Amino acid sequence: MDFELIIGFAGLVFLAMVPYIFAGLGTMLAGQTGLFIVAQEGIMLTGASIGFLGAYWTDNLFVGVLTAIVAGGLFGLAFAFFTTTLNMNQFVTGLALFFVGLALSTLIFKLAIGVTLTPPLVPTLDKLPIPLLSQIPVVGDILFNQNIFVYLSLLLSGALYYFLYRTSYGLELRSIGENPKAADSLGINVKRGRYFAAIGGAMLISMAGVFLPLVYTGTFTEGITQGRGWLAIALTFFGGWRPHTIFIGALFFAAVDVFALRAQVFGGGIPHQFLLTMPYIATLLIMVFGSRWVRVPTFLGQNYDREKRSV
Amino acid sequence: MPKDIVLEMQNVSKRFGSVIALDDVNLSIQKGEVHGLLGGNGAGKTTLMNVLYGLYQSDAGQVRLGGEPISVHSPKDAINSGIGMVHQRFLQINRFTVTENIVLGTDLQNWPRLNLDTAKEKINELGERFGLPVDPDAILSDLPMGVRQRVEILKALYRGVQVLVLDEPTTNLTPQEVDALFESLRVMVDDGLSVIFITHKLREVLEVCDRITVLRHGKNVLTMEREDASEEAFVTAMVGSDLDVESSIIFSSEQLEKTIGDVGQDTILEVADLTVGEGELVGVKSCSLTLHAGEILGVAGVSGNGQLELIEGILGLRPVHGSVLMQGTDVSTLETHEILKNSVAYVPEDRWQDGFLPTANVAQNLILGLHRQAPYSDGRLLQRHTILDRSNQLIEEFNIKTPGAQDTAGNLSGGNIQRVMLARAFSLPVDLLLIHNPTRGLDIPSMEFVYKKILERKQEGMATLLISENLDELFLLSNRIMVLCNGEQMGELQRGSYDKYAVGRMMSGVRQSE
Amino acid sequence: MSETALTSSKPKNSLLSQALPYILAVLAAFLATGIFLWLAGFDVLRAYQTILFTSLSSRNGFIQTLLKFVPLVLTALAFTIPSKANKFNIGSEGQLLLGATGAVAVGILFADLPSIILIPLCLLAGIICGGFWALVPAWLLYRFGINEILSTVLMNFISFQVIDYVATEIWRDPLAGHPTTIAIGENAELPLLVSSPPLHSGIIIVLIVAALVYFYTDYTSAGYELVATGSNAKAAKVYGINTRVLFVLALVLGGAMGGLAGAIEVTGNHHRLIEGMQSNFLPLGIIIGLLSRGNHAAIPFVAFFIAVLEVGASALQRTMFIPVELVFIVEALILIFVLLSDFVRRK
Repeated sequence: MDFELIIGFAGLVFLAMVPYIFAGLGTMLAGQTGLFIVAQEGIMLTGASIGFLGAYWTDNLFVGVLTAIVAGGLFGLAFAFFTTTLNMNQFVTGLALFFVGLALSTLIFKLAIGVTLTPPLVPTLDKLPIPLLSQIPVVGDILFNQNIFVYLSLLLSGALYYFLYRTSYGLELRSIGENPKAADSLGINVKRGRYFAAIGGAMLISMAGVFLPLVYTGTFTEGITQGRGWLAIALTFFGGWRPHTIFIGALFFAAVDVFALRAQVFGGGIPHQFLLTMPYIATLLIMVFGSRWVRVPTFLGQNYDREKRSV
Repeated sequence: MPKDIVLEMQNVSKRFGSVIALDDVNLSIQKGEVHGLLGGNGAGKTTLMNVLYGLYQSDAGQVRLGGEPISVHSPKDAINSGIGMVHQRFLQINRFTVTENIVLGTDLQNWPRLNLDTAKEKINELGERFGLPVDPDAILSDLPMGVRQRVEILKALYRGVQVLVLDEPTTNLTPQEVDALFESLRVMVDDGLSVIFITHKLREVLEVCDRITVLRHGKNVLTMEREDASEEAFVTAMVGSDLDVESSIIFSSEQLEKTIGDVGQDTILEVADLTVGEGELVGVKSCSLTLHAGEILGVAGVSGNGQLELIEGILGLRPVHGSVLMQGTDVSTLETHEILKNSVAYVPEDRWQDGFLPTANVAQNLILGLHRQAPYSDGRLLQRHTILDRSNQLIEEFNIKTPGAQDTAGNLSGGNIQRVMLARAFSLPVDLLLIHNPTRGLDIPSMEFVYKKILERKQEGMATLLISENLDELFLLSNRIMVLCNGEQMGELQRGSYDKYAVGRMMSGVRQSE
Repeated sequence: MSETALTSSKPKNSLLSQALPYILAVLAAFLATGIFLWLAGFDVLRAYQTILFTSLSSRNGFIQTLLKFVPLVLTALAFTIPSKANKFNIGSEGQLLLGATGAVAVGILFADLPSIILIPLCLLAGIICGGFWALVPAWLLYRFGINEILSTVLMNFISFQVIDYVATEIWRDPLAGHPTTIAIGENAELPLLVSSPPLHSGIIIVLIVAALVYFYTDYTSAGYELVATGSNAKAAKVYGINTRVLFVLALVLGGAMGGLAGAIEVTGNHHRLIEGMQSNFLPLGIIIGLLSRGNHAAIPFVAFFIAVLEVGASALQRTMFIPVELVFIVEALILIFVLLSDFVRRK
């Protein structure tokens, strides 16, 4: 294969990786405290919709991202409130919030824009080559001639790894997901930790959503996430709930994505529908093989109620 | 010579829904003493200590430390006041190292990265001083129970406690390990600490405590110096009028001794050269045992030494090699439901995980495993009226406290769940009973009730495999006791030659010498 | 504890106090949405009138409601049967589409067979295809222990491509502007109960299926095993229930329900495969299932209520230009508030 083509492919993979990283890291952060969110798809859609509108009205992509973060934070707050304060089942709460996000994203968009013949557009985010580094042959083109989201996602992976595994705050946060009762008995504030992780996590997930209209399409469309929210959950499991392995997983998911799109162009007669199922089938296969090394936080998905009597 | 009072709990009350768990309880702890908190299960000992530790909020009463009233709203407050607690079920994080478990929640050096070196030194130092050696870098899940307990104690010592609460600390220990623990406790009180020792075992209290408080039904009964007290005084205080001590099996077993030797001729269960599990997961190695009608075979061992695997192997829940004969037929290749149909009842140790349906109702819990058998089913359709009637009978007979058979079982308290497990096992006549820690979580009258039930069925010819971590229970009921360690049979004792330390040696892996 | 309390068989709560949380939840959801609508400048009262009374105030609206009711009951069952065993089927969308595909294939290929054979054949094809679509995640769970929540969801996304392929490559209807197949043979169409506006006989099938499912889960030993497994799979296994097989069975049965929904939509309603015909039956089915709280006797009633709201939603969009998603938010809020009432009752 052509060398230029490979570099181009690799560059696209790093771009396509971004939503997976954000959504995966968000899922992971909440999961490290034992909160299992399944509303990713809904949060991402809302982030995409509201974030797009924010950018559209102000002509400022940064404002768009900020609105998406706020919207995501509200979802996280709701999730934490329902599960941590009110002790509602996490899975069901997540589903309900998924539904809310699914409907809210379209509703707000329709109410705000109305019915138009041409879709409203914002200019998509430009590349931001990093001086000097982008001059490095091959690596520079792939890694350092990207837009700011890509850099941010890389930085974030590293920062979260440091925070979770190299500080006492990370140790405390992880202890909540491993055994909240033990954490509580040592004076660690379980509720506060879970609120923090849910809100932070949902913000990241929402950022994954707003990336799509602001970088890919320039507009919001119904179902723009195409199941990436669900794939992010699979990715997080497969990535063993750790930032560095999630990063690797995200690269893989992105590669499949890009490959499926590219293959349509060079398809050679294979119906494009079959190529488009590749990310999902690849995920199913990954789950089969990944189940060997999956390492889930012990209390994932379980609420903690201090005064609940057991034994 | 009166000592300083370190800690006082005054007029503490606590209720859970309609259940009064603590009713106006008082407790005072002196500096440098081991204070025993004695009572049957459900007496309120653990609830009282959870209030002290800030895990529960009391409805009334106050806590004074060094004379000053303190408010404890969370474990953090308790820790800051110098109160530490070792829970019966260790609150540990299996995937973390010993050091990480101990330092969790304390102030640590974070920049440029988390540094635990000074913490490790301190842990080693504390371990040496109090006779509690641990490897600071070991992962918790790799450690045996005895060591994990040391970690729990070190956790409290690391935080510089004045008052250390130990909740049923001897549950998973061999008699020898218990002695070592008691020595460490002595070192601690000589160092000026105070220890509150929660237990339902009278003998331990008499052995190690300076003063003793007895609770019953969530109320104070008495507080006494050890020297002033006789064993009888405590027994009466613990059981009160709930039990006629004179005719009780637990406290006067002469009646029992006359009948316990009546064993039938028929072989009910014969296990030969049984290995349970495969490869690394072997839980039981070539175990052989025979059980006759009307016989009770006790199995002793520290928790996790193959007891569960033995039972689950017999029940067809784990892959086995060797043979399991029930009344002459080999059942080792049968499915669990076929084995259970063979007139076998099972009371699992871990009732939460292995026996209980929290979201189903009480009646549905009572028929689990019997749901395809008469009279509860004709094989296809449930006999709903029979199930309800029979459930109401069992609820009454076994004194299960619930609003009704159709109430959600998840609302039951731990002791009542155990009663459901037992009611299920005794609801239909069986030839073989496999019963694992049957009285854990039960108060003394209920224990008495369970023992009577077992003995009653024994008289009718039921064979019982009684697995228990409570040696008193095994010594009381068994015709023979075999000891398991690491999945291997260490030896067997006959009734009449039971000896706590002999069993303890075998529990820690020393084979019985002929 | 007194003796009377122990033997009392009277239900603790009257019917009213049991229904109260639901009524409050519905009111709260409407109130919350009302505030939103009011802020957005709509006539709130008129909007609610439209939502609640469209289906009951005209013959047409009522029949529309019944037509919605049919797939809603089935997709609800697709969720609740596995959820009895504590397995979550979030894939009724894909199962419905595959069921529809199966029915369309049979309806087109064997269009000449007489109705009496062809209709059952179409429905059976739907059931089998839907069941198969659930069998894939069920097998992954059985063989590798793969979490069914994710795998059932992923199967939905695969199904979208399958029907796109079928509707654009295999039996494409060249006259339709949207991916659609050609119509099935007339002999494959479900007979009508009412001819104008048309109401097909699928509703009878659905009521029978719902009753059978209720009987299975609540009156049989096999159903008890499902409930026991759902409550605590480990305990169920210890007491001799083959839980792994039950998981597969429950998921496949759920898939069959989704497949049947698709087959009935094809043979009764659309007479062809249309991309997007799954509408929002998946989330609505889940909401109905969760609102019914595992009580299979309640499902038809909850489904009817949701069908009323959905027909109201379409009318709302037509007459007041309020997007249909608004009603969906109301429904999600009802769910959240009903769950909330649990918390209130516990306190």
